[in-house]
Amino acid sequence: MISRRKALLAGAAGVVVVGGGGVALAVREKPEPISPPSVDRQGRLLWRNWSGIESAYPAVRSAPSSEAEVAATLKTAPAPIRPVGAGHSFTGLAPTSGALMTLDQVAGIDRWEGDEAVVWTGTRLGALGPALAAKGRAMPNLPDINKQSLGGAIGTGTHGTGTSFKAIHGDITALRLATVAGEILECDAVHNADLFNAARVSLGGLGVITQVRLKTSANRRLHRHVWIEPLAETIARCEERWAKHRNYEFYAVPFTDLAANISHDETNLPATPPAASSDDAFLEVLKQLRNLLGFSTPLRKAAAKALLGSTKPEEAVDQGWKLLSTERPVRFNEMEFHLPPQNQMAALKEVVAAIEAHRREVFFPIELRRIAGDDAWLSPFNGGPRGSVAVHCYYKDDYRFLFDLIQPLFLAHGGRPHWGKLHNLKAPQLAKLYPDWEAFQEVRRRLDPRGRMLNPYLRELFGA
Amino acid sequence: MRHLLILAALLSLAACAKPAGPPADYASLKPADPRLAQLYEGSCKTCHVNPAAGAPLTHDARAWAPRWHQGEGVLLDHVVQGYRAMPAGGQCAACTPDDFKALIAFIAGHEGDRS
Repeated sequence: MISRRKALLAGAAGVVVVGGGGVALAVREKPEPISPPSVDRQGRLLWRNWSGIESAYPAVRSAPSSEAEVAATLKTAPAPIRPVGAGHSFTGLAPTSGALMTLDQVAGIDRWEGDEAVVWTGTRLGALGPALAAKGRAMPNLPDINKQSLGGAIGTGTHGTGTSFKAIHGDITALRLATVAGEILECDAVHNADLFNAARVSLGGLGVITQVRLKTSANRRLHRHVWIEPLAETIARCEERWAKHRNYEFYAVPFTDLAANISHDETNLPATPPAASSDDAFLEVLKQLRNLLGFSTPLRKAAAKALLGSTKPEEAVDQGWKLLSTERPVRFNEMEFHLPPQNQMAALKEVVAAIEAHRREVFFPIELRRIAGDDAWLSPFNGGPRGSVAVHCYYKDDYRFLFDLIQPLFLAHGGRPHWGKLHNLKAPQLAKLYPDWEAFQEVRRRLDPRGRMLNPYLRELFGA
Repeated sequence: MRHLLILAALLSLAACAKPAGPPADYASLKPADPRLAQLYEGSCKTCHVNPAAGAPLTHDARAWAPRWHQGEGVLLDHVVQGYRAMPAGGQCAACTPDDFKALIAFIAGHEGDRS
């Protein structure tokens, strides 16, 4: 038996061989997108987000080492003051010409209250996993990657997948918020409930959340299963799989009629040595198919099915925090909307059809997840469960079609945007999507009447 | 003459020798300076001790030789601006240009080259 990774790489080589004279085309790589200079004329250092499409030259870089220092800095630092974590958001949440604040030094587990961990929000998710595991606990669920800070993840409504699991902010039972007045406010579902409902998903627009109390679950081993099958079969069976598995998601691969499925279920089996991820090899094959056969969708699909359709499933067993998040060494831009579950598959079919009809350069898979509802006012999952559809573009490719071609499809199906991912909705449209939009704005105006936390992007987003 | 031949042979062997890969303890290495160590642990380490991340591993002389050869200015630009899989700023918003230079030198195994 050969591994899926080897099969994929062999397949990639096959694409090149079959292509013959098209080899140069198949291996041709676009140049790196042009970056702004590392330092501007005033000597200020460049900040750029992970995908590279957002940037700024902050006048001040603030790295407070305590909660008190966070509050003091918010009172005096030049506006706009923007908190930043790992910079994984694709939208303009972090760029500022004023003060860019990182909470990297306000990190770690402060204490335990029963099985709930009180955690400083500068903690990166990747560091929180082993810290919780040391007490036999774990975050109930995790997003695709674990590079983000806890504060950034909750502030943007970041989530994993699984019908029984809320997004990360849904597991927060109390929080502390530093405000531009230099105060520390405490809140939970009973005490300062309005603040709690507003702050959990607040895009860093109310102040800076310094600490949260987080529900945890037993640190169980999970069995990971990855398999490829025809997309039509996946669509037909996805509901039963969401009901059956602890965590289930799938990737619809445009121009292949295939889907990659991923499930995780609790197990008592011993951990198995981790195999090298084949995700990058899979992407490389898809890119080469695009480069070589992009001129003919039927040929591209036939080659994809031949290369990818019969690859061996992957299995792994390990603690959940080691399996649920994976590495993403290939950069991309992304749009993700959260839809009423009953509309999710219809939207997916329309998105795949639109991409295959109009955007032959796309080769990244489309990710489908399911998330339980919560009651945070600006949570995309406010009011009930949502099914998410995420469209990705290679970081060297033009992503602007997402706004013109894809976003209207999501909106037509009642979608709400992921706050950290690409969309171009503004206050008038967003107010219609969120019943508590104005209540949130009232809290924001009360805490930050001069808008010191708002950069131009957020001013437009909030209609401030 | 005989000694010269032996010396030439040794030099030839040295020239052909490839740099070694990462040391066995690469995952536990950290900069001696406490501030740099904190920055390294909080940002760089998440990728540079994780083979799955695709980044050149800490003190992996073989992986770093061609990169180090490009010079400090190019490497600094790649870190600040981002380059291929390298995220801009190494996802370290608190790092200064001098921090980046020192961290690059440490991860590349050339910490002693800067003083």
